[in-house]
Amino acid sequence: MKQWAWLTILLSVSALAEKPLKLWHAYRGGEERAIELAVKKFTAETGTQVELLSVPYDAFSSKLTSAIPHDAGPDVFIFAHERLRQFHRLKVVATTTTRVDRTKYFPSTVDALEVDGELYGYPLSLKTLALFVNTSLVTNAPTTTDELLAELARTTDATQYRYGLAYAAGDFYLHAPFVFGFGAKLFDESGRATLNTPGMAKSFGFVKSLQDRGFMPKEVSGALVKSLFNEGRAAMVISGPWFTGEIEKSVAYRIVPLPIVSETGLPLTPWLGVEAALVSSRTEQPEQAHALAKYLSLGEATALRVDPGGQIPAEIAAYERPEVQQDPIISAFRDVATRAAPTPNTLEMARVWEPMKLALRGVLQGDVLPDQAGALAERRFRALNRERPADANPLPFVLVALLAVAGLAVWQWRRRGPAQAFAKRYPEASRGLAYVAPAAIGIGVLVVIPFAVGISLAFFHHDAGDYSFVGLANFVDILTSKGYRITEPLSFWFTLAVTVAWTFINVVLHVSIGLFLAILLKDPLLKLRGFYRVVLIIPWAVPNYITALMWKGMFHQQFGAINGLLAAFGIEPVSWFTHFSTSFAANVITNTWLGFPFMMVVSLGALQSIPQDLYEAAEVDGASKWVQFRRITLPLLKPALLPSVILGSVWTFNMFNIIYLVSGGEPGGATDILVSEAYRWAFQRNEQYGFAAAYSVLIFFVLLAWTRITRRLSGPEAA
Amino acid sequence: MKEGAKEPPGVTASSTLRAVSGLRLVGIRKSYGDNPVVKGVDLEVASGEFLVMVGPSGCGKTTLLRVIAGLEQVDSGQVLVDGKDMTSVPPRDRDVGMVFQSYALYPHMTVRENLAFGLELRKLPRADIEARVAEAARMLELAPLLERKPKALSGGQRQRVAMGRVIVRRPQLFLFDEPLSNLDTALRVQMRGELARLHRQLGVTMIYVTHDQVEAMTLATRVAVFNKGILQQLGAPLELYHRPANTFVATFLGSPSMNLFDARRDGATFVGTGFSLSATGDATGDVKLGLRPQDLLVSSDGPFSGEVEAVERLGFDGYAFVKTAAGPLTARFDGTLPVDVGQNVKVKPSGDVLHVFSPDGAKAHHHPEARR
Ligand SMILES: Nc1ncnc2c1ncn2[C@@H]1O[C@H](COP(=O)(O)OP(=O)(O)O)[C@@H](O)[C@H]1O
Ligand SMILES: [Mg+2]
Repeated sequence: MKQWAWLTILLSVSALAEKPLKLWHAYRGGEERAIELAVKKFTAETGTQVELLSVPYDAFSSKLTSAIPHDAGPDVFIFAHERLRQFHRLKVVATTTTRVDRTKYFPSTVDALEVDGELYGYPLSLKTLALFVNTSLVTNAPTTTDELLAELARTTDATQYRYGLAYAAGDFYLHAPFVFGFGAKLFDESGRATLNTPGMAKSFGFVKSLQDRGFMPKEVSGALVKSLFNEGRAAMVISGPWFTGEIEKSVAYRIVPLPIVSETGLPLTPWLGVEAALVSSRTEQPEQAHALAKYLSLGEATALRVDPGGQIPAEIAAYERPEVQQDPIISAFRDVATRAAPTPNTLEMARVWEPMKLALRGVLQGDVLPDQAGALAERRFRALNRERPADANPLPFVLVALLAVAGLAVWQWRRRGPAQAFAKRYPEASRGLAYVAPAAIGIGVLVVIPFAVGISLAFFHHDAGDYSFVGLANFVDILTSKGYRITEPLSFWFTLAVTVAWTFINVVLHVSIGLFLAILLKDPLLKLRGFYRVVLIIPWAVPNYITALMWKGMFHQQFGAINGLLAAFGIEPVSWFTHFSTSFAANVITNTWLGFPFMMVVSLGALQSIPQDLYEAAEVDGASKWVQFRRITLPLLKPALLPSVILGSVWTFNMFNIIYLVSGGEPGGATDILVSEAYRWAFQRNEQYGFAAAYSVLIFFVLLAWTRITRRLSGPEAA
Repeated sequence: MKEGAKEPPGVTASSTLRAVSGLRLVGIRKSYGDNPVVKGVDLEVASGEFLVMVGPSGCGKTTLLRVIAGLEQVDSGQVLVDGKDMTSVPPRDRDVGMVFQSYALYPHMTVRENLAFGLELRKLPRADIEARVAEAARMLELAPLLERKPKALSGGQRQRVAMGRVIVRRPQLFLFDEPLSNLDTALRVQMRGELARLHRQLGVTMIYVTHDQVEAMTLATRVAVFNKGILQQLGAPLELYHRPANTFVATFLGSPSMNLFDARRDGATFVGTGFSLSATGDATGDVKLGLRPQDLLVSSDGPFSGEVEAVERLGFDGYAFVKTAAGPLTARFDGTLPVDVGQNVKVKPSGDVLHVFSPDGAKAHHHPEARR
């Protein structure tokens, strides 16, 4: 017994002492291998265990900001510097001002890690954009845009699917060099975003003309850039250091700085991104964590960063290593990096991405004219970053709320009729209350309190942790579409219309398909009836987010089964999520797949309860099959089907999963419905919780009205 | 000019139509899977006739009726209406009306809508529909119920609505499938009367299915007796009663059932186990003898003797169930006689009452002279 106890104590003590550091990153391929090797070395040298976790990039930032405050996050994580200010505000990063030796790194990389005079993290590597030139197709790399255009005209042959240039043009990160090259600035002196400028319009116009003249393909993804360049179908590519790892050995290429814009004389200036090892503010082992982060940024780890990582190190000393000096790619990028400008790490910057992406995609898809795109982006920016409404006096609201509660209580009390002593009416009240209490507490905690909090929240404005009471401003802004046109996807009314159309179309399809199949399955002569029933109920039995992800994959433009099927019939592949109609259709198809089995099951049950002799009587009375369906089947199904239709319409109205996972609101939020829009306001647009709560309250009222109407519809029938 | 002037006086267009409408079934066969239900039925129904098809439950009456309506496809055979082959014509084009055993009223429609449904489908003018519904409602005393739904009606009222639904359409042929079986006795007697009146009033052809011999005897102009999917006998009710073609018909009609005894012809007598009777007719060898309980009387002497097993006293007279050497026997007795269970009695036929059948009961050799 004693020995066992000792062993347990020993084990737990050693476990405490050797609790490994947690390191999170979003690396893949060579970069991931490099970090693994570096960490192994670190452990060998210091004896500190490190646990590595590779997190998908899309989820990385939100995972960090939600995990760290709850002590569930990493001790060290690797992230680009643009998000630094956000991390700083959410207090998830530890300062390194006194620990970093600034002289060891390129000054611009250290500057990029500064927030309000304090330093955060250790710079690891830089990322920027350069021009990759296939030297067998282009002998003299263009230094100006005029030269570039001449080369493009020479090397492009659209009929042969040969392009002069290929890059992910829909990505604002790759468009930014054009913005700066045409003399536009994203922010004014005071740091406010200025997206609607002549330079911006010119940058859009230039890129659009490249696409219109066939110099580059449409809707380019990273994978396409890679295959075009490797097959020699793209003479030039704009990309970053990570692209070197994707080029095949057989392709001869050079890396040069982006050209100078002939019109302005300014270079196409890419952003400089600095990747840093950041230490969590909540780490339990700060010394070890800082040691790890620092280790990753210097010496041996830097060497691994170059090979096999293929990254451009931030450490100055690294460039004295012979293997680095001999690497033409690294030196080329180092050259490029000197001309790049660090991406601002301000909050404003973080808020520019979505509006700019929207405008850029709009231009490239031809939905928005280049000189109107800036205004669109700006409007979007203002809408997403609502200015804080004026503070309101909460007193009247509190009074109204109290009056309402009091009124309700009085009404309830009066309804009870003549007052009678409670104890007399309910002699065993205490025992009864004890029975009711668990359920009452459950409902209170799970329904009543969240409901009350949700409604109250709708009267507040939230900005980075600060709540201010703004009265009805959220509601007014939503209902007046403040900041955007009523016909824009951000507008409540637009979204409401989409939601109603979404609900209506879905329910009609669910009911008609479900009913149709039920009628087929009802036929007692049908062979394998039981089998079909089971098969047809499967879509309903699978969790709907899995179905949604499956369909999302099937709608993929290049690899999806649906386009594959269309291709088999010689139909051009459809880019499902770039147009409202196709994107909406994709959502509807997915949700119909999910929704018809329920209606089928309900219809089947209801159909089987209709006596067969009614049909025979109708037949003798002279009714055709169609008349029998219309005059006998439908009316007799109505009592069973109507409640399901009402239920189904409410479900569909709030069918968040499908919208979020299938179309994700694309294009430009146009296919978002009210709930998914409310979600975005709360979690993707600067955490405007109050605004989102106001949205939810409005959704509640819409559905309340709907159930009132439908109750009227079914009322007389139910009686 | 007037159309009506050309027609012979007293004959309306519809009655001329009816005058030629007769139904003929030729060799109808129908089975469900391996189970033959109708095994070759030939039958002719004259126009204006009230034909009752009677037989025990499960003998295929409903199936045959549904074949006539067109709700069931035959395996072989033909359904002819006025000589025209209607075998594969769908029900809606057959001009038949059918009252279902379950009534099959449309539960979501009011009585008025139920009645008007068939007429609407035939695209009759509104005014005509209303007139016909009103007429049927008057005939069947449904007027106060017109706005109710079937749920709110009693069994008899539902039955009348089902009937009304057929009447308004004025089909050539009315089909009834045990329409009274769901009603209580008193209502059944009343409805029987109304049906007979309706038949007289409308003068149409009616085919009526029942398993109740009383309905058959009281309603029919002719009765068709079925057993096991085979037509046993077709004829006027009294003819079937007095001259049954086989022992099935003989025992099926009449209450209590006819007594049957095995016997052998021996010269001028039929000799059975423990009895002998003077022979009638010219059947020889083994026979089956039939004696209706009404023709047998408990008395001080007679050819049958045995112990009384049960007694049914009806007042004026009664029936005694006697265990004889030849088998069980039912006989009538005078209500004033002290007949009791356990008593040994003798039973005497009252005159020339002997039905003589072949030993397997399939053929009748001799019937007593009908007493009219
Ligand atoms: N749809 C059916 N499928 C299989 N067997 C049936 C069907 N309808 C009737 N039967 C059988 O056919 C026989 C005759 O039925 P039915 O015509 O309803 O008899 P009846 O009306 O004389 O009582 C019965 O044995 C019944 O079980
Ligand atoms: Mg039947």
